[in-house]
Amino acid sequence: MMSARPRTAIAPARRYPHWPIHVALLLVSFCMLVPFYWVLKTSLTGENIFVYPPSVWPVAPHLFYYVDVWYYIPFARYLLNSVMVSGLAIGANVVFNAMAAYALTRQFRGRGLIITLLLSCMMIPFQTTIVPAYLITGKLGLLNSYLGLALPTFSTIVCIFVYKASFDAVPRSLIDAARIDGLSELQIIMKIMVPLSTSAVATNVILSFIWSWNNFLWPLIVVRDPQMQTLPLGLSRFLTYHENTTGALYAFCIMVLLPGIVLFLLAQKEFIRGLTSGATKG
Amino acid sequence: MGDAGTIQVPRASRRRNVPRRANAAGSKRRRELLLVWVFLVPSLLVFFLYRVLPLIWNLVLSFQEFSLFGATRFIGFDHYVDMWNDDVFWITLRNTLLYMASAPIGIALALAVSLMVNSEVRGRNIYRTIVFLSYPLMTVAVGIIWRWLYDEKVGLFNFVLRSLHLVDQPLPFLQSFELALPAVLLANVWQILGFYMIILLAGLQNIPQNLYEAASIDGASRRQQFVRITLPLLRPAIFLAFVIGIMTSFTSFDLVYVMTQGGPSHSSELLVNYIYRAAFELSKVDYAAALTVVQFLLLVVLTWLGNRLSGGDAGAVESE
Amino acid sequence: MLQQGSPHRYRTLARSLVAALCLATLAVNPAVAQQKKISFLTWNISDQEELFKEWIAEFKKLRPDVDVEWLDKKGPEFPTYYQTQVIAGTPPDIINTQGGLWLEYAAAGGMVDLTPYLAKEPDVRRRFNADYLGNWTYEGRNHMLPFYISKTLLFYNKTMFKEAGLSGPPQSFDQMMDYAAKMSKGDKTGFMTLNFDWLYWPLFRMNGVELLTPDLKKASFNTPQAVKVLDALTKGTGNGAINKISWTGRWVEPNGAFAAGNVGMLHAHSPAFFFIRGQAPWINADTLGVTNVPGGWATPNSHGLGISKGSKQPDIAWEFLKMVTSEKWTERFSARRKVLTGNVASDKTTLDKMKVDDPLAAAVLQTQLEQTDKLTGNWRLANDARVKDAFYPEIQNAVLGRKTPAEAIKDAEGKVNRVLGR
Repeated sequence: MMSARPRTAIAPARRYPHWPIHVALLLVSFCMLVPFYWVLKTSLTGENIFVYPPSVWPVAPHLFYYVDVWYYIPFARYLLNSVMVSGLAIGANVVFNAMAAYALTRQFRGRGLIITLLLSCMMIPFQTTIVPAYLITGKLGLLNSYLGLALPTFSTIVCIFVYKASFDAVPRSLIDAARIDGLSELQIIMKIMVPLSTSAVATNVILSFIWSWNNFLWPLIVVRDPQMQTLPLGLSRFLTYHENTTGALYAFCIMVLLPGIVLFLLAQKEFIRGLTSGATKG
Repeated sequence: MGDAGTIQVPRASRRRNVPRRANAAGSKRRRELLLVWVFLVPSLLVFFLYRVLPLIWNLVLSFQEFSLFGATRFIGFDHYVDMWNDDVFWITLRNTLLYMASAPIGIALALAVSLMVNSEVRGRNIYRTIVFLSYPLMTVAVGIIWRWLYDEKVGLFNFVLRSLHLVDQPLPFLQSFELALPAVLLANVWQILGFYMIILLAGLQNIPQNLYEAASIDGASRRQQFVRITLPLLRPAIFLAFVIGIMTSFTSFDLVYVMTQGGPSHSSELLVNYIYRAAFELSKVDYAAALTVVQFLLLVVLTWLGNRLSGGDAGAVESE
Repeated sequence: MLQQGSPHRYRTLARSLVAALCLATLAVNPAVAQQKKISFLTWNISDQEELFKEWIAEFKKLRPDVDVEWLDKKGPEFPTYYQTQVIAGTPPDIINTQGGLWLEYAAAGGMVDLTPYLAKEPDVRRRFNADYLGNWTYEGRNHMLPFYISKTLLFYNKTMFKEAGLSGPPQSFDQMMDYAAKMSKGDKTGFMTLNFDWLYWPLFRMNGVELLTPDLKKASFNTPQAVKVLDALTKGTGNGAINKISWTGRWVEPNGAFAAGNVGMLHAHSPAFFFIRGQAPWINADTLGVTNVPGGWATPNSHGLGISKGSKQPDIAWEFLKMVTSEKWTERFSARRKVLTGNVASDKTTLDKMKVDDPLAAAVLQTQLEQTDKLTGNWRLANDARVKDAFYPEIQNAVLGRKTPAEAIKDAEGKVNRVLGR
């Protein structure tokens, strides 16, 4: 299915000036970074943020708060738990959502009903499901376990629809050809749909990671054993009554934030429009 | 390989004189249907366990008077009647609808940013990362830092406003009845911009490059390409972003909880916050259940309305 | 085909056996131990982990057949966790609550009545400060023992007082408001109060305002006096004498503001002192004054220890409670956390020591034991939380200028009566 057009024959589109875009993006970036700057600054200085006027430059910055965080709470253990739980969540999401999305690209009776059902499931906020979710997890015997922690996040509707949008864009002809070649449905998903939807996979990975990593209320309810707690639960240690731990609190938040950023950076290339994506989908 | 019609036909159909093709297609369809359901089951199971069952639990509870330590008894629609007369319910409902109505702002902003970041400007990787930075940050941290930004005496915003002499008196953002909710909303947009952005970017990747190439050759301007190619093909992603925007306004519990706890005097309290408070601070789990049911029904109605208004095909989320 | 498949098949078989074994080990529960188990849930005190480990070790010596589990949850999530556990049938045996939350559970029948236990062991009863112990009675039944106690007092910034030409702490509500106005200038405010758990209520009570009638059946605060108080508070908030954060229910912001030296008077409970001191190097006996609020009224914000009704070993739980409220342990706790525990002997020892080591802190804690007959802010009602929730938003409406004080009080009266009427 290669295009017969030689590259050189493409007429360049009229160039548009880049500088307005830069100005706009710089403005947006500035707005996005200002709160961050303060979080970072306070994590390095631990200063009292209730002093007026606020000081713009950090006074006597040091990294001790980051070290403190490691010792205030069993950071390493919590990190391990979070990694396990998020790992499970990512794996399940990438697989289950792809399967569900593929099923939804097919015409079948009850499809509209299922889609309505899924959309309405999105409308049930977690805070209203705490008690029954706990009871159900208890009945399944999964309290205090990685699986129990991760199970509610194993599939999300947003991610299913992201996959679906991507799958819908795959030309029918490719799928038909694959069926004719005798590929099973599962193989079609694995060998054709998913490779062509790398941005959807990346989105699934990033989102399911963030939602399971930052999940606070569910681990709080479902985990009793201190050895099974996840990182966000360590937050309470920095919100004590008795001492002012603002510097350590902000350092903790930055440390919890980092893996999400790293994951995004690694997945960056999936969001770059390149010649590759056009060719394989064209 | 041949086509389905020439495969060996089951004897039963031959006996019944059913045309070969239709019957083979019938079993093929059954197989396909089975497969579709098998693929859907894992996700559906998760939603059944953690969304549907809890909703049913709430529904049953909403008709009862529940006591943590004593007996439970059936009281019919009493909670719903109480809700009708409850000012706080109406205030929080209004707040939630307001919140929801401003979702398009965030989405429009995210759309603009996504398009800019998707173009060929230099350093777009950096811009993209910067915009996304806020989303993985724990909501507690977002709440705490924005609370400081908004502080009347020592916050950054008032500092800037006063330094630039834009106001003579500092603005008590989070203690103001009018400003508290918009203030929380702004913090929410700040945090969620990155999320909308990657949804829209993923949608942009689905648009085949060669459409643009072909259009270029045909002499279409950038603007025409945008209006004729990008926007229509981005419609599913935009619709998804809208749906998410509406959902998150009804479920965006954390930020209000951390920043204002619904204050002052319920002016920034969302329905979901009231539900949580009723259940756990006021110890009325049964009333909270009734509120949950009402919120759910309301959302169903709103989504249905939205669907009708936008053309009836769920904005191509379920097209093709 | 078979020949090629053999090593493959064995490998698959081996893998499945290993997987099955793993699943089996996950599924198999260890044989149910003959050990008994109790658990105790504390309220946001995770910094005292060491102390709790010592408690558990000591109790193990007393009762080797009992395992003790410690759980801790932060205030906002405490009720969520506890109620979920109650509904699931696995409540922690012992809970530690702050302020008035215990009342919700006790009034619903969820807390074990400790009166018979105390009656059987009068020495245990005698350990405790009677006024504070009485904090946790409902319908004549004792439901909790003191864990650590605190109540509101007035801190004042002596430097700011001097600058405004004021000497000594205020002696009445009107004087307090007057001083606040005198000290507020620019970014400095004259007065601030904490306000969660109804810590602000003494401001009303000291002016003779009663929330409810003695039989707790009707609102009784719609009086000219109450309107006058609310009016003063509103005016003060409006002209900057009273810092607006006073009405937001925060902990860090008010203390941070006082620590920054910008607030003349802070109406807070004793833990605030230690929090502020950590952030304010300027604090010493010359710059910080500590006194009871004029009239001596205070809202207690104490922590109690009680036994859940659903506990399967209430007697063992009682033994544990006895141990941790004995002098040996309360002294150790006081030394680490600088709080008073309501255990009379231990508090005396603690204070005596502190008067030498840390006189300013001793002065703060001393106020906690003074005028304990003037405790207010909690009403022995099953729907105490709901009454408060109906009242307070109207106060906010007034102080933040949305309604006139008279209107707000009237509306509050209507709402409170409606809650009381059901």
